[in-house]
Amino acid sequence: MKACRKWFALMLALLLLLAGCSGKGGKETGTSKKEGVVEFEFWAAPNPTQEAFWKKMADAYMKENKNVKIKVSPMPESPSSEAGIQTAIASGSAPAISENISRGFAAQLAASKAIVPLEEFEGYDELISERKMEKTISTWKFADGHQYVLPIYSNAMLFGWRLDILKELGYNEPPKTYSQVLEVGKKLKEKYPKKFLWARPDLVQPTWSARWFDFFMLYNAASGGGNFMEGNNFVADKDAGVKTLQFFKDLQENDLLLTKAAKDPFETGTAIMVDLGPWTFPYWAEKFPKMKYNETYALSLPPVPDDADPANAKTFADTKGLVIYAQASKEQQQAAFDFVKWVFSNPENDLAWFKDTNLPPARDDLSTNDAFVSYLNENPQLKMYAENIPNAIPPIDNEKMVEIQEQIGKAALNPVIKSGKDPEKAWDDMVNAIKGVLK
Amino acid sequence: MNKKAARLGWLFASPYLIYTLIFFVIPMVWAAFLAFTNWNIISPEYEFVGFRNFMEALTSDTVKAAFFVTYKFMLMFVPIVIAGSLFLAYLIHSLPRLKGLFSVGYFLPYLASGVAASVVINGILSYNSPFNEKLREFGLDVDWLGSPVLAPLVIALMMAWKFVGYYALLFLSGLESIPKEIYESAAIDGAVGWKRFWYITIPMLYPSFYTVTILAVGLMFGIFTEPYVLTGGGPDNATHTWQLEIYNQAFEKLNAGYGTAIAVINSVVTFLSIFVFKKVLEKWGERHGWE
Repeated sequence: MKACRKWFALMLALLLLLAGCSGKGGKETGTSKKEGVVEFEFWAAPNPTQEAFWKKMADAYMKENKNVKIKVSPMPESPSSEAGIQTAIASGSAPAISENISRGFAAQLAASKAIVPLEEFEGYDELISERKMEKTISTWKFADGHQYVLPIYSNAMLFGWRLDILKELGYNEPPKTYSQVLEVGKKLKEKYPKKFLWARPDLVQPTWSARWFDFFMLYNAASGGGNFMEGNNFVADKDAGVKTLQFFKDLQENDLLLTKAAKDPFETGTAIMVDLGPWTFPYWAEKFPKMKYNETYALSLPPVPDDADPANAKTFADTKGLVIYAQASKEQQQAAFDFVKWVFSNPENDLAWFKDTNLPPARDDLSTNDAFVSYLNENPQLKMYAENIPNAIPPIDNEKMVEIQEQIGKAALNPVIKSGKDPEKAWDDMVNAIKGVLK
Repeated sequence: MNKKAARLGWLFASPYLIYTLIFFVIPMVWAAFLAFTNWNIISPEYEFVGFRNFMEALTSDTVKAAFFVTYKFMLMFVPIVIAGSLFLAYLIHSLPRLKGLFSVGYFLPYLASGVAASVVINGILSYNSPFNEKLREFGLDVDWLGSPVLAPLVIALMMAWKFVGYYALLFLSGLESIPKEIYESAAIDGAVGWKRFWYITIPMLYPSFYTVTILAVGLMFGIFTEPYVLTGGGPDNATHTWQLEIYNQAFEKLNAGYGTAIAVINSVVTFLSIFVFKKVLEKWGERHGWE
C-alpha cells in the first residue's frame, strides 16, 4: 500500500508539472507583466536574418525604454507560418505582434477579429508620415476602411531577362508589349529550339499562391493596376483579364513555356525570362556569380497588351508586414505599436533592414531619400525594385482569397495552358466560379 | 485479483492512460464537436451547422479525389514495399555475419526527413537534370511529376524506399524465428527452392505479413509531406491525399470545421479499410493454421 501511495504521489506531481508547463494564464499568453514593466512577444519571420534584425532593434529599444521588455522569437512553421499563427491564436498563445503577414492572410485574420486596426493607435498618422509611406499604404486599406497591416517591405515583382541571350537575338533591352515578347520568342526558337521563354511549372497547377507571380503580375500590368476585388465584390477588368489569358495561350501555342519542373532554368539559360524578386540576388551571388546586372540579365516591368502604354504598367507587390493581435492586452498592443513606430521613424533602421534582407522597405521615397541612394547606387539591381514600389499592387484583401486564387488557376489559367481553352470562356467560367465562392 | 493488485495495475497503466486522454480522447471529442460547426478556430463566432460539413465533404471533388488517390497509392505502394522488404529481409537473413549492420543500414532511410528526400528527388527528376538530359538523348522526354500516372508512382516509390528497410526488419525477425526443423522435414518431403519458399516460408511469415500489411495500408491514409513538397496534390488531383485536403481546408482556407469533418470521414474510411484487410489476412492465416 505504501508503494501504491508513492506512485499516486508521483503521478500527481507529474500531472501538476504538466499543468504548470501548459498553463500560461489567460491574457498573459507568451508574455508576462511585472510591476511597471510591459512585456510582450514579437514573432519574427522564420529566417535567421529577419530574426537577427528584430532582435537588434528590440535590444536597442529596450536600452532606451527600460519599462518595456520585448521577447523576439521566430514564428513556428508547422508546416507553414500561417498554420503556426492559427494554432497559436486557437490555443491562446499568440504573440502581441508579428511580422511576415501578407495582406490576404491579414484579411482572413481580420475577418476573425484576431488582429486589430492599426490606425486606431496613438501615433499612427505620425508613423505614416515619418516613414514617408502615404502612397504605398493607400493601396493597403482594407474594404472595411481599416488598416490592419503595416507593410515592412514591398517587392515590386519584375521580370528578369537574359540580356546576353537577348543580345544574341538582336535586342538590347527586354520587350515591353505582348507582340514584342512573342517576336523575341519566335527568334529564340529559331536560334535555340531547345530553349524556352519562361519556365514555370506552376502555370499548370492550381496552387493559389502561385497566381501572384504569374497571373497577377500580368493582369495588374494589363489593367493598369485595376482592382480585382472590392470588398466582397468581383470587379476585375474583363478586357484586361481576357488579354492576359490570351497572352498565356499564345506563349504556350508557340512552345515558349516550359511547364515541367526545372532546376535554375533562368540561370542555366534553359529559359530567358523569369518572374524575379530581389531575394534571388544573394542566392545568385553565392551560386551563380556570373549573373551580372545589365550584362547577363536585365530587369523589366511585366509586358502589357499592344494597345496599352508600357510606361503605365503596374505589377504585383510581394509584400508582407506587421500586425498586432487582439489577444494581447491594450497595454501590450500600444507598447508593441510604440516599438514599431520607434523602429520605422528612423530611415537608418529601414536601411539596415534593406542591407540585411535585400527586401526593399515599403516607403514612397526609397529611390529618392539620401539615406538609401548610396546603397542603391552600390546595388543597381535593386534600384528598379525601389522605383516601382508605388506601382506595385498588393494581394487582394478578401477573406476568401485562397479559394478565389485557386479558381483563377482551376477555371482559367490552367486549362488555357493545358488544353488551349478559349480565353473568353475561361474568364467567364472563372468569374462564375469566383462568384460561387463569394456566395 | 485482489483490490491492491487491481489498484497497482491501474497505477502502472496510468501514464499511458493519461497520455491517451490528453493526446487522443480529448482531441477526438474536440474534433467531433468541431466537425459540426463552421468555426475556423480563431474567430470568436461560430454556428452549429449539423451535418452540412459532412454532406459537403461527401460531394466534394477534392475529397473524392483523396479517397481514390489513397487506394491508387495503396495499389502501388503495398505490393512494392512488401516485395521489396521481403527480398531485403531474405538477403540479410542469408548473410553469414554482419546482419545487424546491414539491417541498420537499410533502416536509415526511414529516419530521413521526407522534405529533404523530396527535394533531392525533385532535383533528380527536374527537366534539366543530367538524368533527364540523358533520357532525352534517347528520345524520351518524360514529365515525371506532371503526369497523372507517373507522379503517384514516383511518390509511391519514394515512400517504398523510405519504409522498405523498416518493414524488412519485421520480416527478418519472422524469418529468424522459423525453426530449422521445419525446413529439414519439408526437404525430406521434397519441398526445396521455390516450393519451400512458397509453401513453408510465406505461411510461416504470416505474423510479419499481417503487421507489415496493416502498417502499410494505414500509412496510405496519412501521406502528406511528399505530395506537399513535390506536386502540391497535382497534376489534376492525381496525388491529392486526405491529409493534403484536410490541411488545405483547415489551415489554408481557414475552414477548420469542414476540415475536421473530412478528418472524421478519413478516420472512418481508414478504420473500415484496415478492418477489411485485417479480415482478409485473418482468413489467409486461418487457412495456414494461424488462429
